[in-house]
Amino acid sequence: MAEPTNRDLLPQATVVPPKHFRVSAIWIIPILAALVAVGIAVQRLLTEGPTVSIVFKSAEGIEAGKTFIKYKDVNIGQVTAVQLTEDYSQVEVTAKISRRAAGLMVEDAMFWIVKPRITLSGVSGLNTLLSGNYIGFVGGKSNKPQRRFVGLDVPPIVADQPGRQFVLKAKELGWLGIGSPVYYRRLQVGKVAAYDFAPDGRAVDVTVFVNAPYDRFVTTETRFWNASGLDISTTASGVDVRMESLVAVIVGGLAFDTPPDVLQTDPAPEKAVFTLFSNENAAMKAPDASMRRYVLFFNEPVGGLATGAPVTFLGLPAGEVTRVGLALDRTTANVRPRVVITFNPERLIEDASGTALEHDEQQRYALLRRLVEERGLRAQLRTGSLLTGQMFVAFNYVPNASKATIDLSQPMPELPVVASGRVDIEAKVSSILAKLDKVPVQAIASSLKKDLEALDEMLNETRTLVSNVDAQLVPQLKKDLEAMQRTLAAAERVIENADARLLGPDALAQQELRDALQEFARAARSVRVLTDYLERHPESLLRGKRDTTRGEK
Amino acid sequence: MSARALTAAQSGLVGCKACGLLSRPAALAFLGYCPRCGARLESRRGHSIEYTWAFIVAAAILYVPANMLPVLTTYTTGSFESDTIIAGVISLYTSGSWPLALIVLIASFMIPLGKLVALTYLLMGVQRGGVRNARERMRLFRLLDITGRWSMLDVFVDTFVVALVRFPPVMSVEPGAGVAFFMAVVVLTMLAAKSFDPRLIWDAAIDG
Repeated sequence: MAEPTNRDLLPQATVVPPKHFRVSAIWIIPILAALVAVGIAVQRLLTEGPTVSIVFKSAEGIEAGKTFIKYKDVNIGQVTAVQLTEDYSQVEVTAKISRRAAGLMVEDAMFWIVKPRITLSGVSGLNTLLSGNYIGFVGGKSNKPQRRFVGLDVPPIVADQPGRQFVLKAKELGWLGIGSPVYYRRLQVGKVAAYDFAPDGRAVDVTVFVNAPYDRFVTTETRFWNASGLDISTTASGVDVRMESLVAVIVGGLAFDTPPDVLQTDPAPEKAVFTLFSNENAAMKAPDASMRRYVLFFNEPVGGLATGAPVTFLGLPAGEVTRVGLALDRTTANVRPRVVITFNPERLIEDASGTALEHDEQQRYALLRRLVEERGLRAQLRTGSLLTGQMFVAFNYVPNASKATIDLSQPMPELPVVASGRVDIEAKVSSILAKLDKVPVQAIASSLKKDLEALDEMLNETRTLVSNVDAQLVPQLKKDLEAMQRTLAAAERVIENADARLLGPDALAQQELRDALQEFARAARSVRVLTDYLERHPESLLRGKRDTTRGEK
Repeated sequence: MSARALTAAQSGLVGCKACGLLSRPAALAFLGYCPRCGARLESRRGHSIEYTWAFIVAAAILYVPANMLPVLTTYTTGSFESDTIIAGVISLYTSGSWPLALIVLIASFMIPLGKLVALTYLLMGVQRGGVRNARERMRLFRLLDITGRWSMLDVFVDTFVVALVRFPPVMSVEPGAGVAFFMAVVVLTMLAAKSFDPRLIWDAAIDG
């Protein structure tokens, strides 16, 4: 140890000072890195949404990792897996929903596959020709979260739009289909959302959806009618052709309106039930619920008075008969006809200056009471047509009528009646017959004989005249009729041609439309092929399409 | 590998790392500048181990998001597709271009990972001391230094593709967040390799 050695072999004192614990500023870098990584992880975890599974009948155009779920055209999720269900009968699509949309995944949310659809009432989903199918979504109103859903086969008509649904009771569906338009004053405001048989199978319940803000035009007094096709009617003023729109002619449609003189205009509640009338006239003619009903007890037979017969007020229509029956008075065992009518005379009445009366119910009834009690307004049966014996109810002033009061507190107040003129006519007829008895028949008969002889002569002359006419006029007439027949046949042919050419399956317009659509689909397909190719070979944009025979390298 | 050569530091001398001139230090506390080329003289790079560790840790942390986040998002009409590095490799492989897939896999996935593992191995050897195969370690270190820059391949591809494929609405490509992390990983591993002083390897070999 003390032995002197070569100095150079001795260890040199260290230049580096002994290590003391000191953290260098360089550790800021890994700390920063850790912070960023943790930040991203946290953000990922926070944006991680729920995973839902949707069962579809088939997964047309759905690809894992490529198909999106869109709500209001915003991506809210992506399909992560497409698998068959355990029994191989359906397809289960698993999708990751973004966290922001997690709250939408509730019990009554709906999913469906959006693909191009071409129906008579419109073309939808054309954008999917280029982008591929996607899954449409509409949220529900429930608060109960759900993770398993059953996909719809067809897109819901009412996809999350504000508005209201109404149920229409129809005798038959007619031309209507899901998506048929609903018009209000020739403006489309809604669609037919669904239809089904009424539970008893005796009617069809058509559910329509009227978009907001037009749904407020549907009031409790609104009438719906079938606006399909053409409505041609002949009236005294000529032929009247009505048609809502060409679309309605082809695919059917509904229209609604509120009669102009209806007072009550509360908006109808959701799912309110209406009757679907076959046409506008029928719809508008039907009595509205706000019309007060009255009851009339007649003391004479009411044969010929049918439901729907008019009720007139001073000759003008002011209501109609809604029910005809018999009523029994239990105390006197007296059965007499009971007629229920709607009667709104005030709709016709204006004051002297021409302005309509205010529509205050109390005032209306007060007016009716005064008319009946002071002016002697009475109901009377009248014969509308001598040929058919149709009757109607007329309200007229009867100056010397016996005093009557009406009790307006009743739900159906009774209005006083007077006997019809029919009874008087019978009396008059019998008095005429009595007079006839006294006529000198013998004298009349002898002069009648002379007259008859003269008549015989005249008839002979007439016969010759007629034979002349027969010979000359009838051939001409026959020719005319034949010409007319030919014209009719030609017209029939023209109509048949038009039918085939415009509406038949081989009609030119249809063919062209089909060709155009096919052409369009072909174009879209080739654009798709191009994008697919570009996706896989972006370099081809620069270098052109490579020879496929060489294969991909 | 027993060439226990006398090192400059042991003889109280210092070698210039720029021009290699061996000179006597000016003072113990401050070694001074190289008399030939003027570079600052250092016996051993200061804080080499600590700095290298810091860079390795940072790179290892960022390696996770770099591989988890998409590096490229391809938008075609109406749809888009995000690919991470591994997903890109897989899609390249499944579309048949396996040589390309191999290149990307090696350059973008294995090289950064390999660098991290190798540097950790070297650092631990240096810290533990008693290194037997100092020459192999040196070779490994040189390999690290050379391959470092090549792992930027992915970043380059990204840059080119984003600039070239720009035909909205038919097709366009956007860089993803992953590429920034990937770049950070590559830069950090390069910095780690730079801050590692290979002279420590033979110091450790001598100590043992």
